[in-house]
Amino acid sequence: MFSYPTVRTSLAFLAIAVVGLAFADIAITAANPWRDLGNFFLGVITPNFFSSEGLLTALLRTVAFAFVGVALGSFFGFFLALVYRAWPVRIFCAFIRAIHELFWALIFLQFFGFHPLTGVLAIAIPYSGIFAKVYSEILDEADPEPGRLLPPGTGRIAAFLYARIPDCWAQMRTYTAYRLECGLRSSAILGFVGLPTLGFYLEASFSQGLYSDAGAMLILFYVLIATIPLWVRPKLLPVYVLGAPFFLGEGLPIVWGNVERFFTEDIIPSPLKDGEGLSGLMSWAGDLMVEQALPGIWNTVVLTQVALVATGILALLMFPLISKHFGGPVRRTSGHVFLVVARSTPEYILAYILLQLWGPSMLPAVIALALHNGAIIGHLIGRQTNGIRLRPDAVTGFGRYSWELVPRIYRSFLAFLFYRWEIIMRETAILGILGIYTLGFYVDSAIQNIQFDKAMVLILITAGLNIGIDALGRYIRSKLALQTMPTC
Amino acid sequence: MSGFDLSGLTASFGGERVIGPLSLKVNDGEQVALVGKSGAGKSTLIRLVHEHVGRESSLVPQELGLVNALPVFHNVFMGQLDRHPTWYNTLSLIRPFSADRSSIKALLKALGMPEKLWTPTASLSGGQRQRVAIARAIYRNAGLLLADEPVSALDGPLAHLVMNELKKRFATSVIALHDVDLALKYCNRIIGIQDGQVALDEHSERLTSADIMALY
Amino acid sequence: MALDHIRKFLVSSLLMTATVTASAETFVFTAIPDEDETKLVERFRGVADYLSEELDAEVRYIPVKSYAAAVSAFRNNQVQLAWFGGLSGVQARRLVPGSEAIAQGVEDEAFETYFIANTSTGIEPADDFASLEDQLRDKTFTFGSKGSTSGRLMPEFYIRDTFGDAPEDVFSRVGFSGNHTRTLRLVEAGTYQVGALNFQVWQKELGDGNIDTDAVEVIWKTPAYPDYQWTIRGDVDERFGDGFKDRVKQALLNLDDPALLESFPRSGFIPASNDDYEPIRKTAEEIGILD
Repeated sequence: MFSYPTVRTSLAFLAIAVVGLAFADIAITAANPWRDLGNFFLGVITPNFFSSEGLLTALLRTVAFAFVGVALGSFFGFFLALVYRAWPVRIFCAFIRAIHELFWALIFLQFFGFHPLTGVLAIAIPYSGIFAKVYSEILDEADPEPGRLLPPGTGRIAAFLYARIPDCWAQMRTYTAYRLECGLRSSAILGFVGLPTLGFYLEASFSQGLYSDAGAMLILFYVLIATIPLWVRPKLLPVYVLGAPFFLGEGLPIVWGNVERFFTEDIIPSPLKDGEGLSGLMSWAGDLMVEQALPGIWNTVVLTQVALVATGILALLMFPLISKHFGGPVRRTSGHVFLVVARSTPEYILAYILLQLWGPSMLPAVIALALHNGAIIGHLIGRQTNGIRLRPDAVTGFGRYSWELVPRIYRSFLAFLFYRWEIIMRETAILGILGIYTLGFYVDSAIQNIQFDKAMVLILITAGLNIGIDALGRYIRSKLALQTMPTC
Repeated sequence: MSGFDLSGLTASFGGERVIGPLSLKVNDGEQVALVGKSGAGKSTLIRLVHEHVGRESSLVPQELGLVNALPVFHNVFMGQLDRHPTWYNTLSLIRPFSADRSSIKALLKALGMPEKLWTPTASLSGGQRQRVAIARAIYRNAGLLLADEPVSALDGPLAHLVMNELKKRFATSVIALHDVDLALKYCNRIIGIQDGQVALDEHSERLTSADIMALY
Repeated sequence: MALDHIRKFLVSSLLMTATVTASAETFVFTAIPDEDETKLVERFRGVADYLSEELDAEVRYIPVKSYAAAVSAFRNNQVQLAWFGGLSGVQARRLVPGSEAIAQGVEDEAFETYFIANTSTGIEPADDFASLEDQLRDKTFTFGSKGSTSGRLMPEFYIRDTFGDAPEDVFSRVGFSGNHTRTLRLVEAGTYQVGALNFQVWQKELGDGNIDTDAVEVIWKTPAYPDYQWTIRGDVDERFGDGFKDRVKQALLNLDDPALLESFPRSGFIPASNDDYEPIRKTAEEIGILD
């Protein structure tokens, strides 16, 4: 067993997580965590759909922001994918997708304010980077032979439209549809920083303990996501995409002077503005590093590693829920529902709920990250096991799980897990806004103190950390020769 | 000008020479059949010739190179993408022009599959796919045909139909064939390949199938 | 495929044109989100209606999610008037030259922060903060919002001033609940053992019977300091006509609708000036919240 590189890698990560756990701040500080959790579930089963007149509008705005953001993201991502070979483009895309939607929103809020453009760009920019990467991977995998057979003198555009796109089309469409679902989640959580989407009301209801109202919003959101195949039809798509911009709400007018001020004043480090020169800048940067960046990086990394392993364990525990090799149709259907709910709930909302119920520590964050990501990976590998044909006399029960299935899916399981490593870190950083001391906490504090120069430096550090993890994840995946579909 | 005169043709695979060095001269009006055991280097030679004559040739590779997601019409139309401006090609992708539709339909009729014009290529059988690749090569209408086992998936009568069509439409061609009788019937010059070298080069009238079988 | 992208392009251009049509001549104001949102919306919609009538102009209230968002909206001229706390007001006026504090609540001249504790801690109320040191050390503690005066700035100042340590070193765990109502609920539930909040919120909730006094009690009250105020931008006269600022100020000072005042809760509004908030500025600089 120990001679397998995959097993050794897994154990190494497990060991890192255990050590991380020793340093992590894990606690339930609420006096009555289970009573609160009980109240919450009571709220979910006694939903109040008429709590707020704004609820339906918020739902509409959530969908509108998702459509416009994802459409623009896929449009620009597509063109970036065409020139993705150039390394400046690669670096640019890695950079824009390393910054979380919420961070983008916080940045744009400073100069566009409550204008729809803030929410649209917060989704469109990071999504462009993600689309560029995945589209270019899909295009690279297309069969090159038809292109070689074209008559010389064929225009580049015609060659591209005939010989490359058709083969990639189905995959690109599937991926874009998946991203639309992600876009709905992103759009919903933008409400937490004040945009007029679902998160706005969800946050208000939760912070006031109005669990029936919150439950109703969550149920509406699950229904919205679960019914995507019913209402997102290829024929209706143009209608949605063209119509969505008119449902973003008015917001407040942009004052363009603010944009200039943000880039020429706000984000310039204060020692430079005050003319304290290089030595002033050094001590400013030194203080920022020691007091905020380093503790933030440490907590972000510790939480990421613990959450990554917890995600893996949960995924391995949850995939039998939907595997046809275990249980009957009733059990599998309930398993499906559970996984859909767990993966449709954005980590940010899950973490927010658990933090409200259990008090602040890394525990709610770990559980939220592991539940959401574990459900996604569990769903993917569970579906994969359904393609496995066991011999008729294969063992049953735990023997079947541990001897027949896990060894077969372990490599793709690891591939998915390392693929999500970067995503988990992005989320970990952002959870700081909720009060866990990761980088997002310090970014939020800097913004609350109107110190955008510090906030920008911290956001850049977060992006750098993400790019590093992304590269490391890719290195490990190639070292272990793990293949993965981009649709994860 | 569709013949060619190439010398010093070589190809190696994994450090091992599979072809050559050899010279090959084909004149206008010669319809050459490449015969020989599988693995003798026929496909490699076709590739080499294709590389050297530039792309001024109609090629039917063994793996066909079809775009599976597109219907038959578009796969065939791709043979003439260089003759139209980009807007024309782009529009054809969405709604083909009737002139192109009728010419391609006629071509498919000659190959025995007119009803498949709008069928997605992915759902065709092996023999149908092969004929789509052939139709594309014919539609391309270059002076020289280079084909690698173009009828391997077709049964007797269809193979003859297609070979006849190719003979009619391309005065000059180099076709790799494992079927000796087809080679003798539809080509006027036979080149036998053995261990990467030319082992036989004769007019087909002067050969019988027994002469060729010696190569196998 | 190609069509799809043309569609998407059209969308992007539509987006640019569709969003610049918002009306520019509406007088917009906001408020720091220091309490439950539904209460804020109810309260400030009332104020918007009142101001709209008094000023004979379209007046709109927009809710925000953080103190910083209120300051940014004010700074970016997307709102022209705001109900700020002491600290957020100082921040906003530093960033917007010419802006002025025009009115404050009667109670805001002498505002207080209450330190509250869950009764399970057994902490006895005291008049002298220093005497609570032993009982407070290593408890869990929550502020309100990071940008709050009564929920963050003043309590942090007294903690540092009295115990000589940063809050993180005094308490085993320090959190930011987000707002005063939330602080009250968290300490009442025992999620945090100790917290600090706006005394007006405490008294109003107490009066409304919303506090379980067996679970939570006040353990110390800070000395008085100036807090909430209405702050207006200096350029409103240019935009809404001469004398607009004075009319807004007069309208606020004249506000005497008991229900509306009760929702703040304030007994009335009195004139204020930027200088009234000098003590807040100094305190904020002292503990490093202001540069």
